[in-house]
Amino acid sequence: MPTDPAFTPSGLLRLLGKAVAVALVLAWSLGPIALIVSAAFTPERDIFATGVAWRPTFENFVALWQRWGDFFTGLANSFIVTVGATLLAVLTSTLAGFGYSRWRSRFLSGSVFAMIALRLLPPIVTTLPLFPIVNALGLNDTYAVLIILYAAFFVSLGTMVMRTFIDQIPRELDEAAMMDGASQAQIFRRVILPLSAQGMVAVAIFVIVYAWNEFLFAFIFTTKNAKTAPLVLSEMIGSLEGVEWGVLFAATTVQLLPILAFVVLCQRHLIEGLTAGATKG
Amino acid sequence: MAAFSISAMQEPRRALPYVAPALALLAFVILIPAVYVLWLSFQQSTFGRAATFVGFANYAKILADPYFWRALGNTVIVVLVVVHVEVVLGLAMAVLFAAGLPFRKLLIAAVLAPYAVSEVGAVVMWRTLFDPDTGFMTRVLTGIGLPPLEWSVVPSHGLALVALLSIWLHLPFTFIILYAARLAIPKDLYEAAEIDGASAWQSFRRVTLPLLMPAILVAMLFRYIFAYRLFSEVWLLTQGGPARSTEVVAVYLYLEAFRYNDFGAASATGWLMVVTSLLLAAFYLRRLYREMFARAD
Repeated sequence: MPTDPAFTPSGLLRLLGKAVAVALVLAWSLGPIALIVSAAFTPERDIFATGVAWRPTFENFVALWQRWGDFFTGLANSFIVTVGATLLAVLTSTLAGFGYSRWRSRFLSGSVFAMIALRLLPPIVTTLPLFPIVNALGLNDTYAVLIILYAAFFVSLGTMVMRTFIDQIPRELDEAAMMDGASQAQIFRRVILPLSAQGMVAVAIFVIVYAWNEFLFAFIFTTKNAKTAPLVLSEMIGSLEGVEWGVLFAATTVQLLPILAFVVLCQRHLIEGLTAGATKG
Repeated sequence: MAAFSISAMQEPRRALPYVAPALALLAFVILIPAVYVLWLSFQQSTFGRAATFVGFANYAKILADPYFWRALGNTVIVVLVVVHVEVVLGLAMAVLFAAGLPFRKLLIAAVLAPYAVSEVGAVVMWRTLFDPDTGFMTRVLTGIGLPPLEWSVVPSHGLALVALLSIWLHLPFTFIILYAARLAIPKDLYEAAEIDGASAWQSFRRVTLPLLMPAILVAMLFRYIFAYRLFSEVWLLTQGGPARSTEVVAVYLYLEAFRYNDFGAASATGWLMVVTSLLLAAFYLRRLYREMFARAD
């Protein structure tokens, strides 16, 4: 019976090395977040002072509420846009995932290839022609334009993820339902939809995180009515002369915490989706 | 009757109603605009005025512009640094986590946290950390006798901060891809290596690394393509300044279009951006294919 490796000198050294590595990983991943969140709960005058005891306070959040009504409108806009984009992306991806999983043809494999190829195009390139078109249609500064853009940039990844998940549903189930006289639409609704819920969750997580945080499209296509929270945040940084740091940190915290909690809660689905999307897409 | 339905199920036309919405969304938002941009890149075009054909004049103008070359150089340097540092860190973390850690779920949640942070939020965090007067990291750097990062004044420092915060934001993605691939390597291979007397380093070098190669290439390819789009971090940190020295291609494109109102030149920049990013990624794509075929044999 060999001695427990943890108690030999080299075992202890290994353990120590591991502990240091874990500490570094934690400091790197959580340090910047912890800094901002704790500063948000610190009185403005103490934030950059050294050697002052921490006196937690909500005053920055109160000031944010009183002076930056815009920010809370932005949060509401972000919420609406996120929900809209998620519904649109999940619906179109699931339908397409079913189509690509159950049928084969030259057109279908060609269009899958086109879908993957289109992911290579940088979003900023498509803003150039979209900008005048969106203006002409009167869609500038509306929820609709952001919802459509966000959904479009995730529908190709979403379709690949959904196809992977739907491929795992045995075709025998489709055939059995068909024997019972179900139409194709019924098979999709009664057989495929309930069994592919996991994939839909994975796709939804991607879109939710993306839509909640997106900056570029919001920056180009919204000015006032549909302005999202990240855009209002960037304006708070932009007022370079009189940045109210406490308020800025409070706003950053309010924008971050809900989505952070969501990512932590959905960890397992997020990892599944990332691996399915990356290896099959 | 039933047999008829099943053969109808094989009829490819019936897939169309299902794939059409997704394809329509992609066509109208990405494909048609991309083709239109190609057309636009051969036109003299200002917002609100009819375009006129100018051939390759826009491309000639961009390629003669030193600011474009500076932006391209900045982009390539930042992308190379970001992608390689991410792969090395992600690989080290994947090995660390696969070796078995207590509270693994909790630790993975911590590692994933930056994935939830917006670009704007990350900029707030990192510019506070590196604030020249009050930043925590500035104090640490001067504390150990290093010069502080003067990111708002010195161009290379500005790009270094941009790279640092891009790595922070995207490391969770790279890590997850590599970690999932590492977990898929069967345990017996390591046991066999141990029986053969392989050291930890040897089993990493001879077992882990070769078997992770496809995942490493996939992660790098994704990150090449996405890192190349770098815009928000630069825009929010330095706006490309001082004196246009920290511009990247996407910022250059934005300025051409929305500040100088030259949509033709911006479109040409857009296509140059696509082509250069593909060239950069092509090398890895080729190795990826070779790797896949080697595995298929």
